[in-house]
Amino acid sequence: MHVLLDSLAMIALCYVMGFLFQGFYRQFNARLQRRWGPSIWQNLYDNMKFLLKSETLIHGPMFFFGPMIIAAGAITTLLFVPFLKDSDWLQGVSTHGNLILIIYLLVVGPLGNALAVGSSGNPFGVMGVTRGLTRLMGLEVPFFLGLALVMLQHETTSVHAIMAAQDGIAHWNLITNPIAFAVILLPFIASQNASPFDVVGAPVEVYAGPRVEFGGRLLGVLMTQNMMMTIAKLVLVVDLFLGGASNVLELIAKAFALFLLTTAISAAFPRLKTEQTVDFFWKVPLGLAVLGVVLNVWLI
Amino acid sequence: MEFSASPVWFIALPLLAAFSAPLWTRWHLLDHLLFGVPLVLLILALGLFPTVHEAPLLETIVIAPPLGIHLHLDSASLLLVTLFCFAVTLVAAFLWLGATDSHLRGRRPFVLILLLLVGGNGLVLTGDLFNLYVFLEIAGVSAYVLSALRDDRPALEAGLKYLIIGSVAALFFLLAVVLVYLQTGQLNLAAVAREFAAIPPAMQGLIALLMLIGLGIKSELFPFNFWVPDVYRGSDPAVTALFSGLLVKAFLFVLVHLAVLIWADPAVARVWLMTLGALTLIVAELAALRQDDMRRMLAYSSLGQIGLIMLALGFFSETTTAGAFFHMINHTLVKLLLFLVAALLLRRCLSLRLEDLAGAARVSPLAAGLFVVGALGVLGLPPFGGFMSKLWMLQGFAEAQRIWPIALILFAALIEAGYYFRWIRVLYAPVAPAASADTKTTPEPWAAYAPLLLIAGLMLLLGVAPFLLETSVVEAAHALLDRDLTLQSVLGVAQ
Amino acid sequence: MNLILKLLFLAVSLTPALTLLTWGDGTLAWPLFGGFELLFELGPLSAFFLLLLALGTPLVALPMARGTPDRAAYGLFALLLLGMQMLLLAGDFLGLFIGWEVMTWSSYLLLIRSTRTTLEGAQTYILFNLASAFLLLAGMLVFYSLTGDFRIAPLTEASAAGRWAVFILLGLAFLIKVGALPLHRWIPLGYDQAPDLFSAVLAGLISKMGLYGLLLLPTLFPDALAGLSGRLLNGPAAGYGLAWIGAITAVVATFKAISQQDIKRLLAYSSIAQLGYVVTAIGVGSSLAVGGAIFQTLVHTLVKLLLFITFAGIVLQTGQRRFNDLGHLIDRMPMAFFAVLIGIIGLAGMPPLPGFAAKYLMFVGLIDARWLLLLAAMMLSSTAAFIYCYRLIYGPFLGHANSPEARTATEAPWSYLVPQVVLMGLLVLLGIFPGFAIEVIVDPVLMTLGLTPIGAPSWGELATPYGGYDGVVLMTVFGGAFVIVTALFWLARGQMRRAGSPYDLSFAGEVPTADTPLHYGAGMGRELRRIPLIGWILAHTTAGVQAGLTRQTLAAAGLLGGLYRRDPQTWTLLAVLVLVVASTLLALNGGWF
Repeated sequence: MHVLLDSLAMIALCYVMGFLFQGFYRQFNARLQRRWGPSIWQNLYDNMKFLLKSETLIHGPMFFFGPMIIAAGAITTLLFVPFLKDSDWLQGVSTHGNLILIIYLLVVGPLGNALAVGSSGNPFGVMGVTRGLTRLMGLEVPFFLGLALVMLQHETTSVHAIMAAQDGIAHWNLITNPIAFAVILLPFIASQNASPFDVVGAPVEVYAGPRVEFGGRLLGVLMTQNMMMTIAKLVLVVDLFLGGASNVLELIAKAFALFLLTTAISAAFPRLKTEQTVDFFWKVPLGLAVLGVVLNVWLI
Repeated sequence: MEFSASPVWFIALPLLAAFSAPLWTRWHLLDHLLFGVPLVLLILALGLFPTVHEAPLLETIVIAPPLGIHLHLDSASLLLVTLFCFAVTLVAAFLWLGATDSHLRGRRPFVLILLLLVGGNGLVLTGDLFNLYVFLEIAGVSAYVLSALRDDRPALEAGLKYLIIGSVAALFFLLAVVLVYLQTGQLNLAAVAREFAAIPPAMQGLIALLMLIGLGIKSELFPFNFWVPDVYRGSDPAVTALFSGLLVKAFLFVLVHLAVLIWADPAVARVWLMTLGALTLIVAELAALRQDDMRRMLAYSSLGQIGLIMLALGFFSETTTAGAFFHMINHTLVKLLLFLVAALLLRRCLSLRLEDLAGAARVSPLAAGLFVVGALGVLGLPPFGGFMSKLWMLQGFAEAQRIWPIALILFAALIEAGYYFRWIRVLYAPVAPAASADTKTTPEPWAAYAPLLLIAGLMLLLGVAPFLLETSVVEAAHALLDRDLTLQSVLGVAQ
Repeated sequence: MNLILKLLFLAVSLTPALTLLTWGDGTLAWPLFGGFELLFELGPLSAFFLLLLALGTPLVALPMARGTPDRAAYGLFALLLLGMQMLLLAGDFLGLFIGWEVMTWSSYLLLIRSTRTTLEGAQTYILFNLASAFLLLAGMLVFYSLTGDFRIAPLTEASAAGRWAVFILLGLAFLIKVGALPLHRWIPLGYDQAPDLFSAVLAGLISKMGLYGLLLLPTLFPDALAGLSGRLLNGPAAGYGLAWIGAITAVVATFKAISQQDIKRLLAYSSIAQLGYVVTAIGVGSSLAVGGAIFQTLVHTLVKLLLFITFAGIVLQTGQRRFNDLGHLIDRMPMAFFAVLIGIIGLAGMPPLPGFAAKYLMFVGLIDARWLLLLAAMMLSSTAAFIYCYRLIYGPFLGHANSPEARTATEAPWSYLVPQVVLMGLLVLLGIFPGFAIEVIVDPVLMTLGLTPIGAPSWGELATPYGGYDGVVLMTVFGGAFVIVTALFWLARGQMRRAGSPYDLSFAGEVPTADTPLHYGAGMGRELRRIPLIGWILAHTTAGVQAGLTRQTLAAAGLLGGLYRRDPQTWTLLAVLVLVVASTLLALNGGWF
């Protein structure tokens, strides 16, 4: 019972934080571009509108199940991320999981959705999936290596244990292992599907990406899970590098600070092509990660 | 004269049978006797094993001392004699039961094959240099004529070439014998062995060289084996089976036997023989890669195996020698099988060229299957006997911490696999066999496969249960290598 | 008659299971010669691989027994089973080698029964495999020269050079068998050209024998691989080299797999890559990593059997084997779709299937050994694998049907479906209960290898000193979330309508027709070439080296063969020449030199 309530609370928190953060993002970008931008609630309205559409076009059963899988994947992922430390609440089932599992779970949903994209028969959608997988291949190597440095540092893959070891700002991994944070920062932005690595969905232009065929309530589901995943990933990085949070306010504050950092970086750089993205990840963050490995493992 | 205990029979019986051929022709007994005589000898040889196990058998027919016929039947020669009789029995059975061409039936092949057996048996049995030369000529002459039997252009060419090169070899050997006689006044091998050391070193070297070249040509060692592919290509496969299975083994044995007896210092002989063996092995296997005629390919493969046996025999260690004897047996079986399969395929597809045999497995599945068995056997892959003998030799080298022969043998085996599997692949190619295959060929009687299946079964048996032959080959190796024992048993004195 | 033959064949395919169940602790000795004997016994390591055989062979035999009986193939399959069981049961190198060789040639003969085998493919297959066998023979002879015995036992008194010789020779032999780069070329050729069902045996079972050998290798040295040349970071230094071979194999083979146009070739390369992980893990040599290696071996067997059998069914039904000739089979062959779906989830190592448990153990093993660069290489390979996994399901099942056969195909016969269902079930069960696999399958092997068992608190849980996860919880959460989301979606208001035609797409403002090339299967992954590293890898192949080697060997053969094409005069002259030269030398030296 506790688990069920707890899970519902996590999902709700994620959802609320999700639309607020993304609303903020739209505002922030608009202001940078000297526009007024939409209201901070705009994402909630959009999402509700999609979810309440009366008619949805589908291309076969798999096309329908794809968004369900991705939503289930998002929920599973966030339930495996502990939101708070030293608390009974907002834990989900995170004691039964570990960091490597979470990294893999992040991918389960999108892959399930890729089946739906393929089943739609739209080549532009599949092209988007291929680009997404290619980008994933690029970002995952430095991202995972950076996290491996943290796992090595604490000799565990448990997020709880890593969080517990950072008892004070001086012990934050951001401070004790800055290279690891520098390594994961850009791949993290890419995994959030944010600029400058957002060619997969290619927002703004003629739409060619995984979501090209989706509309109506299915698009609503996709949007919902996207907002929740954004938060889950932010919380994960907060847990790993910013010492986690003891209460919800601290969590929101830390997540927001991190979000602000990534948003600022996103806003400053122009978009890269897929190949450029991969090449970049394999040169700069991976190079940095190798340096980190050499420093951490070989020299010490 | 006690009947069962004399080695003379191995020579006398086929000789007698051959000379009374007109009689058998009249009684229509040629096929039966060609099969029966070696079979009787085979049984006799098998029966002699317990006797020879006790002590070697000697038979001396003195003409005028030191001239005479010395026959010396020890474990080594008995093993080879048994093998030869078995080989001839099988070939005879194949000729008898199969749809054999007319030129391989009748009096001439009867006489020649039996004479070949006489020559082979004589070569391994004799204890006298001059006799050795005589048997060498008997074996040689019958082989020349056998290869020319078919009476067409390639066959005659093969016969002629064989005649020329064979005579040259005999000449070299005869020169060596004459020199030995001049220097020592002895022809008995044991006596020669005892007195050889007294000859001036330069003369020793010359004699050894002459013998090496003469017997090297005969036993197909590189660089004296260039005639082999032509002769094997021109002759009938059934006959070639005997060349490869019987004749070469006899000469190899003689070469090593002489080397052991005469060159008292094994280190020198080892260098020479192992070098020749290694060269023969590697050159032949490489050359075989590009052969597009099955008989030529088999000829080169046979050369390679001879090189391998030489390599192991030339090491003069008891283990490798035992392995080499075992390998001789296996190689004889395998080459009989392969050449007889070639004979079957030749009759069926009228050609043994690579392109004409594509897909031949469809028209003669059993022959193709037997070819596969033979190929696996010759490559030394388990579970066939070839693997055990190869392992035995390799283990001998490993025991002595010699790594290069192991590397060489395995490398050669890989090359060998390169061409054998190419042939297998061609036989089983997914194309319709050449048009000539189905026309004007008489279907092969099933009985023709009987000897082949017997060979395949024996190969399998030897691969699964090599211990059956263990005592014989170990004793043979012992008999071949123990010079003093031979001298003692012949002359009654140790050196 | 045919029925009896088929039943007999199926019975033969059950022999590994029978051996596994009835062998017990007994030993069987068979004398050879010179005091050597073949010794057969069943240890836990062999039992594990025998279990794979016992699982795999009946599942492949069932579809093989369909249609008119192919007697030769049945016979050869029986021989193959005999060989594999012999090599697994062997307690000494002789038996191992004999089994190995029987397996090699019988698999070759099975391979050339396909009408698609080319001479090049067949020759490559047999020569690589025989090279592997002969290296094994050379290694065991060196072993023999060091110990005087063929029994598989630690080399306690050997010199360092001797140990290295054994390690390198045997290591190379087994690496060829698992297809480590650059000795892999026989795998894509062989797996592609083999009869479709036999590819499943090749990838699922025969390749595992190489892993058996590699797992045996550390037991030959006291203190395992660390006994060779000490330790590096937190693992054996000798294993570091091995691990890199595995990692590079995994990376390169994955990219090669992405660029393939043919399903079976793609699976072949993916097989190479997957076994590359195992090689890496064996190189690490710790209990976690080797546990992961064993787990991965098990999963890879199940996955490759499943995928190859399924695709064999597809090829049987459509006659097409290229990605751009298939498409949209999801409606016509739903069972095959699910089989491939489960297969690729296992292949990609995604949770909740057991592929993830195996990867988890290997990753943790690498972290534990502090070999992080290897970890990066493995991560690269396993994420790049997502791309080919997606191709595997998109090309045949999604998108648009691209050939008349793909438009009319129906589900494969039941003899193909039964193994698919069984394998899917096994994969899902192992995914839910990773702890079960650890306790029952992995730990006994680890104990024979002298490593600490991993242990599991419960069947659902995978636990390591670095943390773990619970398969039951994972599956429940995921399944629960899926059901709830779907239910909510249905319960909410609104209707769904199926698109009127497959061309009813949002296609850049245009209306596609049947002629518009809409299937993305062939081109998928092509743009990867623009990434410098991948472009470089895809532009290079070992085919040229192999062709060059063949050409040189044949040239040498031609040269030497030329010697033999002369007349008797030359031969005689040569003999005389040798005599003259040699005797001159003799005379100059005054005797023997």
